[in-house]
Amino acid sequence: MNTDQKESARQLSFDYSQDQQMIRDAAREFAERHVAPDVIERDMSKKFPHDLVKLLAEQGLMGIYHSEEYGGGGFDTVSFCLVIEEIARWDASLALTIASHTSLGSGHIALAGTHQQKMKYLTPLAQGEKLAGWCLTEPGSGSDASGMTSNAVRDGDHWILNGTKTFITQGSVGDTFVVLAKTDPDKGAKGISAFIVEREWDGVQPGEPMHKLGMNSSDTTELVFENVKVPAENLLGEENKGFIDTMKVLDGGRIGIGALSVGIARGALEESMKYSQERKQFGKPIGSFQAIEHKLVDMAVRIDASRMMVHRAAWLRDQGKPFTKEASMAKLMASELSVEAANEAIQIHGGYGYTKEYHVERFLRDAKLNTIGEGTSEIQNVIIARELRKEFGY
Amino acid sequence: MKFYICIKQVPDVNAPLQIKEGQLLQDTDRMILNAYDASAVEEALVLSEKHDGEVEVVLIGPDKAKETLRKALAMGADKGTHIVTEDESYDSAVYSKILTAFFNDKEYDYIFCGKQAQDTDSGLTGGMLAMQLDLPYTTNAVGMEFENGSILVKRQGDAGQEMISVPSPGLVTCSNDMNEPRIPSLKGIMQSKRKPVDTISTGDLGLSEDDLAVRTQILSFEEKPEREAGRKFEGEPDEVAREVAKLLDEEAGVL
Repeated sequence: MNTDQKESARQLSFDYSQDQQMIRDAAREFAERHVAPDVIERDMSKKFPHDLVKLLAEQGLMGIYHSEEYGGGGFDTVSFCLVIEEIARWDASLALTIASHTSLGSGHIALAGTHQQKMKYLTPLAQGEKLAGWCLTEPGSGSDASGMTSNAVRDGDHWILNGTKTFITQGSVGDTFVVLAKTDPDKGAKGISAFIVEREWDGVQPGEPMHKLGMNSSDTTELVFENVKVPAENLLGEENKGFIDTMKVLDGGRIGIGALSVGIARGALEESMKYSQERKQFGKPIGSFQAIEHKLVDMAVRIDASRMMVHRAAWLRDQGKPFTKEASMAKLMASELSVEAANEAIQIHGGYGYTKEYHVERFLRDAKLNTIGEGTSEIQNVIIARELRKEFGY
Repeated sequence: MKFYICIKQVPDVNAPLQIKEGQLLQDTDRMILNAYDASAVEEALVLSEKHDGEVEVVLIGPDKAKETLRKALAMGADKGTHIVTEDESYDSAVYSKILTAFFNDKEYDYIFCGKQAQDTDSGLTGGMLAMQLDLPYTTNAVGMEFENGSILVKRQGDAGQEMISVPSPGLVTCSNDMNEPRIPSLKGIMQSKRKPVDTISTGDLGLSEDDLAVRTQILSFEEKPEREAGRKFEGEPDEVAREVAKLLDEEAGVL
């Protein structure tokens, strides 16, 4: 290669930096040592793993990409994706806890908070001393988030917040919530503001953990806010502009769900590779039969594609470039893959795969969340179509 | 207290290996910190946290091995020295000679080494180094305490555990049964970038080509023969026992 070719080749690199490799290796070691051993038990007991979250905090894994100034790791979004993948490889519930805590609740404060708000709220969150919940969805408004009915009314130096939020990750274990509410109900999406709310305040009422298909040791509850007095300084971002920030937070959140999906799919492949070499039928390992081989290959190819898409979206975010479409595409691709890979992994494992003796049935139950949370696959299509129209000038 | 830990980069034991025409082919992308060395680093970190010490790591290896030095720094070691070598066919005698040259002008309380490296499993470098530096030493440590100015080493022997007091300066080689080496935290990884690393050559240590000549050489590698299936005995216990005894005597020749 001549100098020009070398220079242009340098622009596109598939190498991870030494930092990224070290973080990935550390996360892998952590997952194998601390996460993998009791994951089946955690799924069955459905208990939130406070002890593991404490260990994650000690490792610095609860605020990977937040700034060092506010207690974060100061690393990039690609590193964050590598960690989420390693954790989700074994325990998607725990990966969901980290991802939602980091990119939604803490992420919104990092994006829109003032220096004082970040010092007070982001620092303990990024250090993992406190847990964040992000309250957008309501019983009557999911995909159409701007149709929310929660509202906040200004009262002197306070806001009075009322409303019911649901499907809140860290709803009952969270300490700090970012709550979206109408502050100008006539203006739809342009009348929404965000508030930082502490769990200890009067009128904040977390519900009971919900019974779910999967993601069992991740905490999901309803949250009711009844005449909660929110100090004016806890308005997060500009008044009535909360929805714009919300969309940005969701863009970032999708990268995390993408990485989580890649982690589950990789788990499905690794478990299936192992099982199909060990399991013998008709005198040979079932992995030598083409019907099984093709399933494994299909998984491997799509995992590779998904990971690259997720990491590119993460890289764009790190470069400060627009990444809405890429994050949406990555999330759509990876989340659909995670469900199908887990499903095929059960098929490869046969009857054993249907039992809780093996990991793969949990993978399927956990993976299904990925095509729903942070925007359903259908909503990803809406977003991508809108971005396409923009791109083509329509 | 000043600790020096000798560390080595080795292939990940979980990475697949291939032997082709007597040569060993391995995935050089999957290199790790030798597990015994990791335990030595961990033990030094624990002791230095308790007794206000300093931990330095020294590594001999090619440029790529720098990543392993950084791992030790990310675990918490304060400083590193990378002795860069091109040739990777050195034997334990050469490694210990290089280390001896390195330690000649150094002051320290203890040198820790892994009891062996996972790639060659020779287990010689630590002992040779202690000899050449004229240090008291012990091997296969499974526990350590600092007591009355000496390190009290719990050593795993054949028949049981021995308690050996090693005065300072001294050398100990470590087993990986001693502890669970810490996983670098993100903070540790970030800090490791700012820690001082000296990069030197064997020439800087005053070693000549002759000094680096190996005394032992690996001629070739061979695949381990596949284990043959065992034999199952069924029937009346009396008869089976008699038959097994007979076969042990006549066929296996062990009685």
